[in-house]
Amino acid sequence: MSAAPAGRLELVRSLKTNTDARRLFACLVGGLVLALMTGPSGSASAPTSGFTGSILNPRVFGFLGFGAAIWLLMTVRHRFGDRIRAASDRVQASPRRLLPDRRLRYGIYAVVLAIAIVYPMHLSGFWQEVLVDQVGVYVLLAVGLNVVVGYAGLLDLGYIAFYAIGAYSAAYWTGALPIHPFVHLNPFWAIPFAILAATIAGVILGAPTLRLRGDYLAIVTLGFGEIIQIVATNLTGVTGGAQGVIGIPHFSIHLFGIRYAWGINNLPYYYLLLGFVVVVLVLFRSLENSRVGRFWTAIREDEVAAEASGINVLKYKVMAFAIGASTSGFAGMLTASKIAFVEPGDFTVQLSILILVLVIFGGMGSLPGAVVGAAVLQWAPWYLREHPILGFQQQDIYIYLGALLVVMMIFRPEGMIPSRRRRREIGLAEHGVGHADALSGTGPGPVA
Amino acid sequence: MCFTQNFSNAIVLGLADGFIYALIALGYTLVYGVLQLINFAHSEVFMSGGFAGYFILNAIIGTRQPHGAASFGLVVLGILGGAAGGGLIAFILERVAYRPLRKRNAPKLAFLISAIGASYFLYNLAGKEFGRDSVSIPSPFTNGTVFSVFGAQVQTYYLVIAIAALVMLVLLDRLVAVTRLGKGIRAVAQDAETASLMGVNIDRIISQTFVIGGLLGGAAGFLFGLSSGVVYTMGFTPALKAFTAAVLGGIGNIRGAVLGGLLLGIAENLSVTCIGFQWRDVMAFGILVVVLLVRPTGILGERLGRSA
Amino acid sequence: MHKRSMILIAPVAAGALLLGTLGGVAAASSSHASKPTYTIAYEGPLSGGNAQLGLNMLYSVKLAVNQANAGTTFGSLPFKLKFTSADDQGSASQSPTAAQSLINNSSVVAVVGPAFSGATKAAEPLFSAAHLATVSPSATAPALATQGWHNFFRVVADDNAQGPGDALFVVKKLGAKRVYTIDDASAYATGLISAFDSAAQHLGATVTHVEAPGTTQCQAGTGNVQQYGALASQIKGSNAPVTFYAGYYCDFALLAKAVRAAGYTGTLMSDDGSLDPHYISESSASVANGTYLSCACTNLGTTKVDKAFSSGFRKLAHFAVGTYSAEAYDAANTIIATMKKLGTKVNRKAIVSGLTKIVYPGLTKRVHFQKNGDIAGTAVYIYKVTNGTIVEVGPVSSLVK
Repeated sequence: MSAAPAGRLELVRSLKTNTDARRLFACLVGGLVLALMTGPSGSASAPTSGFTGSILNPRVFGFLGFGAAIWLLMTVRHRFGDRIRAASDRVQASPRRLLPDRRLRYGIYAVVLAIAIVYPMHLSGFWQEVLVDQVGVYVLLAVGLNVVVGYAGLLDLGYIAFYAIGAYSAAYWTGALPIHPFVHLNPFWAIPFAILAATIAGVILGAPTLRLRGDYLAIVTLGFGEIIQIVATNLTGVTGGAQGVIGIPHFSIHLFGIRYAWGINNLPYYYLLLGFVVVVLVLFRSLENSRVGRFWTAIREDEVAAEASGINVLKYKVMAFAIGASTSGFAGMLTASKIAFVEPGDFTVQLSILILVLVIFGGMGSLPGAVVGAAVLQWAPWYLREHPILGFQQQDIYIYLGALLVVMMIFRPEGMIPSRRRRREIGLAEHGVGHADALSGTGPGPVA
Repeated sequence: MCFTQNFSNAIVLGLADGFIYALIALGYTLVYGVLQLINFAHSEVFMSGGFAGYFILNAIIGTRQPHGAASFGLVVLGILGGAAGGGLIAFILERVAYRPLRKRNAPKLAFLISAIGASYFLYNLAGKEFGRDSVSIPSPFTNGTVFSVFGAQVQTYYLVIAIAALVMLVLLDRLVAVTRLGKGIRAVAQDAETASLMGVNIDRIISQTFVIGGLLGGAAGFLFGLSSGVVYTMGFTPALKAFTAAVLGGIGNIRGAVLGGLLLGIAENLSVTCIGFQWRDVMAFGILVVVLLVRPTGILGERLGRSA
Repeated sequence: MHKRSMILIAPVAAGALLLGTLGGVAAASSSHASKPTYTIAYEGPLSGGNAQLGLNMLYSVKLAVNQANAGTTFGSLPFKLKFTSADDQGSASQSPTAAQSLINNSSVVAVVGPAFSGATKAAEPLFSAAHLATVSPSATAPALATQGWHNFFRVVADDNAQGPGDALFVVKKLGAKRVYTIDDASAYATGLISAFDSAAQHLGATVTHVEAPGTTQCQAGTGNVQQYGALASQIKGSNAPVTFYAGYYCDFALLAKAVRAAGYTGTLMSDDGSLDPHYISESSASVANGTYLSCACTNLGTTKVDKAFSSGFRKLAHFAVGTYSAEAYDAANTIIATMKKLGTKVNRKAIVSGLTKIVYPGLTKRVHFQKNGDIAGTAVYIYKVTNGTIVEVGPVSSLVK
């Protein structure tokens, strides 16, 4: 008789440590959470109605079943992991390793570019709009931030400030602001000035602060982002204040007999953006493989050793910052000219954080990662709005994004399309060798 | 001089703000001490405390206006409820968003993104479930001026914050200095590997550290909500300011977090007598940058190991 | 076994047959009277810090569509209406995409919104090119009417109309020689307060103006909730008889609480952004009583029609009507009235031209539009919080003799 109770306790204890059982529990809870996320909403006067409507309801069984199915998949992968992992590793490898033949690789890039040029012409006005305003601009922002965060390993939480500077430059040089420049330019010709202004801002912010360590740099850049927004809101005489400035002209070229004016049609902006993105990608790829790129890698992996090897760490950090800023400035300039309006309320800290999310989701330090990550996360909410599944509501999108991020970081912290080097760094760190990035290696703290 | 007018008022208000910042900042600093990471989702712990306190007091008080001993009891109940809500969310956060990453030695940025994701998830879910409008916590006491000091009126509300905060700070100080848990926290903060060799259960210490930070942050959420109402987006700004305060005082340093919180509150309120409210954040970040340029590790320096 | 199952099967089969026939008849009869379906859309913030304002308006439009389909407001209509919405987060950068999603939807014939002035500035060029009428319930920036958008209409008076009306009331009726004015640094409030300040100064009052940004507690602002403590002591120190706040109910409630706790005894007044029962619930009846609120809208909370609107709204939304709810209801109904007039020839362009001529007796005012899309008739009405409810006092023109 005494054996039975002890046996039951043993069972419970073994269940607590059995990884399969724990995974099942986690998956079932995950199913419940999914049921809650897709269920009806509550309100302050009826706070439990959302919970009861989603969970105390037959639909919850569907979600529990879904959780169980996921558990099954995970357990199978865990059991037969090695074979599956070997196969999936081959698929995940970076393009360069996959296709060592350079001509084949360039051929594929050419095909992708051709599709990128031709396909949008067949999209409806709405999807063209999404392609430019949501996907295109954010891809550019993600690629720029990728240089700062991914290449140089600097945590910038105020990236939108440079976007704002680009946008207000557009307004300034076209004479839309209360203060006027000595010559009014068409925004197309003001593009280099916007990029220059953003770059200078990057240097001004970076030079004194890039000496600070990772977490401190994060808070300072966050503060800078907020300061830019506040300054834009308060200096009504300079920036037009909270109401913003309307009437920024669209791009137009009038040169040597070539006349072209951008209007409200999205395609011309798309091609301008595409051109710029391609140039930027080529530039950044060559930077990545140049001496500067290697300096950045050295700084990212071990700053002290890099400094000891004679690299002027501050100079290259500021360079990364400035390059990232310039890209952001162009994006801001483009949007301001396209919408013909700029207001400070759009340049929020939350937006800076979102861009960081795009970069890391896609794969920090990886160009294809930044592009694909930004494209997917920006396109998905609008796609789901048009084709809602499971009671998806557009205003709940951040609930899904948040859950996705947590899950992503648990199962694939290197991002969707990681750079080869990052994958190796993270893989080694997982087995206890070295640190996964410069931020982890400093100060005391647990490794395991 | 602009900041000598209304000086005493600025100090009183600054202390009230500062105590709230301090309570939230402690959550950041404790977690940073043991894990070297910014718990970006601490703002949602704060919010959860606010909602927990709201639901409890709303259910009990309704539309009555309590007095005397009932008021005192209700305030304590609200604080405990807020703390419990915050502690619970902090516990879940650590288990779901941080522990799996720790087990895999994930890069720091992965922790940061996971925290951001958890934060997005929590506050938007709160908005979905509890509505998007602000709700006010039924007041457990009648707010009025209790006494005046140097021309500054001290309201009941400020006293409640100050007393509650001081009690919690003293308890925390004793906890860290005297109890086994406190020793464990200090050990892990100082050198985790050695601590685990000495038999400290790191997982449990980290979890308990999160919970303690959550208790403080949740209580702060309730205290904040008493005057400002509770809403799903309430966490972002106070938590950001509190994190600034933690860095200002020296991240990882408990006394630094308290000092940073109080200093930031006072500095903000003093500066507002000179510059407008719309420049307040610029001032706060300006102070931070100056301090960091001069003393990169914060005023009291960063550490936790040596009993704060 | 056989017999028993036959006994069970027979009635079941008969029942199924009966239901099937009935269903078929019903389907056939409904397919006889198939009306065209049009969609009325709403664009505004549905997530983020300003979500509540957006939801206040969304449910009004939804209610209007439901009531029109049920025949309660307009009797039987020759078409069916559907409702859709697009979330622009109140932001000018999201607005074009949200707008385009509505433009792309060929069933959408008119839009209530965009709610915010900034979002409207960004989206109107697109709506204009698509000849899609937009009737905004809340965008008050004066600049919107001067851009030459033929499809732009609004049922709310712009800042240049409301500001002077408010100032007239404060200086002449309340007799204030000194006024303390505060704005929440939003696009809406800064426009209103500059109109108010200059009008008040022209009338001979001294104006002390302070900007206290709206807090994240209430909106997507950069302000800190703690500022109200300091602001309250400044206001108390100034001893101005009237304090005018331009902003929204949530921040105004926090200010009112702080100001009364600091012992200020002067009169508080705010604009239509605060014309929301949450102002009272978030501050408390004792704090809110005696506050004046202004709006270029009338009849709220009094008439039978309005009471029907309030209860219908509450049933649909699970919260009470708030800021701009009534305006959005009027906007939607004006569109439906225009469509009714067009009968079967409903399309986007027809609605645009129909709106230029329509006269509709709305809840908040008699709706008809000027040439530039502005609402005609910009009388400002004053409300007062009495005994815990908002009660209309009357139009400024009759209060100030």
